[in-house]
Amino acid sequence: MSSFHLMLPEYLVVGFVLLALLGNMLVGNRLRLASWLGLIGLLSSFVASASIWSKSLQPQVMVSGGIVVDNYSLLVNLFVLLAGIGAILLGWGERRWGQEFPVLTMISVLGMMILGMAGNTIVLFLGIEVLSLPLYILAASEHTAAGGEAGLKYLLLGAFSSGILLFGLALLYGALGSLSFIHFASLTNTTSPLLWAGLTLTLAGIFFKLGIVPFHMWVPDVYEGSPSAVTQLMAFGTKVGAAAILLRFLDFGFYLTPQWWGPALGYLAVLTMIVGNLLALPQTDLKRLLGYSGIGHAGFLLVGVATHNLDGARAMLFYLLPYGFAVLGAFAVLILVAGNQDTVTISDLKGLASRRPLMAAFFIIVMLSFAGIPLTGGFVGKFYLLQAALFANQPGLAIGLVVGTLLGLGAYLRPVQALFSVGDESRAVPAWTLSGAVVLIVAVIGTIGLGVYPTPVVHLVNLSANFFWLH
Amino acid sequence: MIPFIILAVIAIAGALGVILGRQPVHSALALVGNILALAVLYLLLSAEFLAVAQVIVYAGAIMVLFLFVVTLLTAGKEEGEPPEELGGQRWWAGIFAVGVGVVLAILAVTHPGSAVNTGIPSNFGTIDGLGHLLWGSDFLYLMAVAIMLLTAAVGVLVLNRPMKKSRVSRPGREEA
Repeated sequence: MSSFHLMLPEYLVVGFVLLALLGNMLVGNRLRLASWLGLIGLLSSFVASASIWSKSLQPQVMVSGGIVVDNYSLLVNLFVLLAGIGAILLGWGERRWGQEFPVLTMISVLGMMILGMAGNTIVLFLGIEVLSLPLYILAASEHTAAGGEAGLKYLLLGAFSSGILLFGLALLYGALGSLSFIHFASLTNTTSPLLWAGLTLTLAGIFFKLGIVPFHMWVPDVYEGSPSAVTQLMAFGTKVGAAAILLRFLDFGFYLTPQWWGPALGYLAVLTMIVGNLLALPQTDLKRLLGYSGIGHAGFLLVGVATHNLDGARAMLFYLLPYGFAVLGAFAVLILVAGNQDTVTISDLKGLASRRPLMAAFFIIVMLSFAGIPLTGGFVGKFYLLQAALFANQPGLAIGLVVGTLLGLGAYLRPVQALFSVGDESRAVPAWTLSGAVVLIVAVIGTIGLGVYPTPVVHLVNLSANFFWLH
Repeated sequence: MIPFIILAVIAIAGALGVILGRQPVHSALALVGNILALAVLYLLLSAEFLAVAQVIVYAGAIMVLFLFVVTLLTAGKEEGEPPEELGGQRWWAGIFAVGVGVVLAILAVTHPGSAVNTGIPSNFGTIDGLGHLLWGSDFLYLMAVAIMLLTAAVGVLVLNRPMKKSRVSRPGREEA
């Protein structure tokens, strides 16, 4: 297959970005046109990624090692495109966010796709920047005080972490003399403090994007202030992209020397799981709650990387999907309940069970999936992570995971409890919208499907996570 | 080595001037010193095109932009510092920053990277060599940067939309 065919998903996104920009310029009723173009672009890219995946190709290296297209990168494509399609549907017809919303969403998704196939440090950095820049703008796109604060905080801290990341990458290049991950493994036989400094700074930059605990301060404020559909994209898409590059960078580039990074990642994972879920407990604003829950889930993802074995990689990749479905469902309900409001507190959910029983039922399902209750995807995902931690003989990780899950359960049950209490009858009954209903139903079907019959997806993930044995 | 040390001192002094200058104009001028020192450093590393671009783009265009903004926004404004709200954070941040910087500098001096000794190609750093890279093997990177610049341009449009007057007048969803 030619390199054009292999990169067709990315080219499609770029093409539709340009089309949507032209459409915005030339045609009236711009918002709907841009949304349709965004939806079609991301859907066609999704189909292209799936069809290339189904041809089960060997890893293809392009641009002198800079870009690797393999089952792993294509699976990451599928995940982030799902997040992007969800964001465009959730923001459908929302005039507040402007006609550029679909364009910027597509560019951000493109950055996440680039991260999935990065084969050297240049592409790593470019991917992170292409991902972040539209998100800085989207965070502030609503022109509220909270939105401006979110955008500015994200921009300043993001630029700072990008600087740290770039410094780390430069030190890595200085110590190893190569930019390609594929050369890293053979060059890491000698240790040098410069290499360690570079690795530390690089990991700090990636952890910032992922929202791991010492670097998590920005998450709740940015999640709260951003438009809800954008927050969904940050919570699902950005986590997929950052987790994908972290796994590729460590398990492919540094797979011979897990003793350098494995213990640090393990401690950070436990810290993140516990702190994130603990801080989620007292939140009353639903977006902040989901922000802290996102931090906790980043810790769960980190467990998969910290085990540094194939089981861990598979478990982490699998966990991204039930987490993503739960995020999609939670934000769909949040947007439906919010209507024209900017924020939704737990008390806004009161009485939903009697007024919109179906919506409340769906919300309960995704919350139970977040918490990891059996028969939802979240349980299967946590089960695999626990298994990977135990197989890797790291009981500390397993204990941290269980404690984090228990704490999380408390946080997720509070909104569920509010659904059944008597609410303010003067509040308008949340109206269904077509796009919101589509996202919510897909999310719920995905959540239950993964919980009841995960075999096909497990198979898919197992075939995709083999990349780091293929040196 | 001696030219490097002189330039490094100038660059660091310029950078310190940027953050320590009380007046924005002084900061901007200190930045010029920093940029010029960096440009000469690039020349020492035989990156000729980068050095020229650094001078033209940063010391030329962007600095003029800075000065315009400074003259437009701060003319006749108060010169005092806004009240400190961060407690001791500024001091701690300074101490940690200097500490990390010193550690990294010691590492770099005592453990120089051994691997970067492959030598440089003959047309390295010239406009010819750079062009071959950017329009040849590294073309996709250039595309990614182009998309980033496009994003920035779109961002200017998005962020400069006029502010809505009040929440009530805001149009709601387009479809039910």
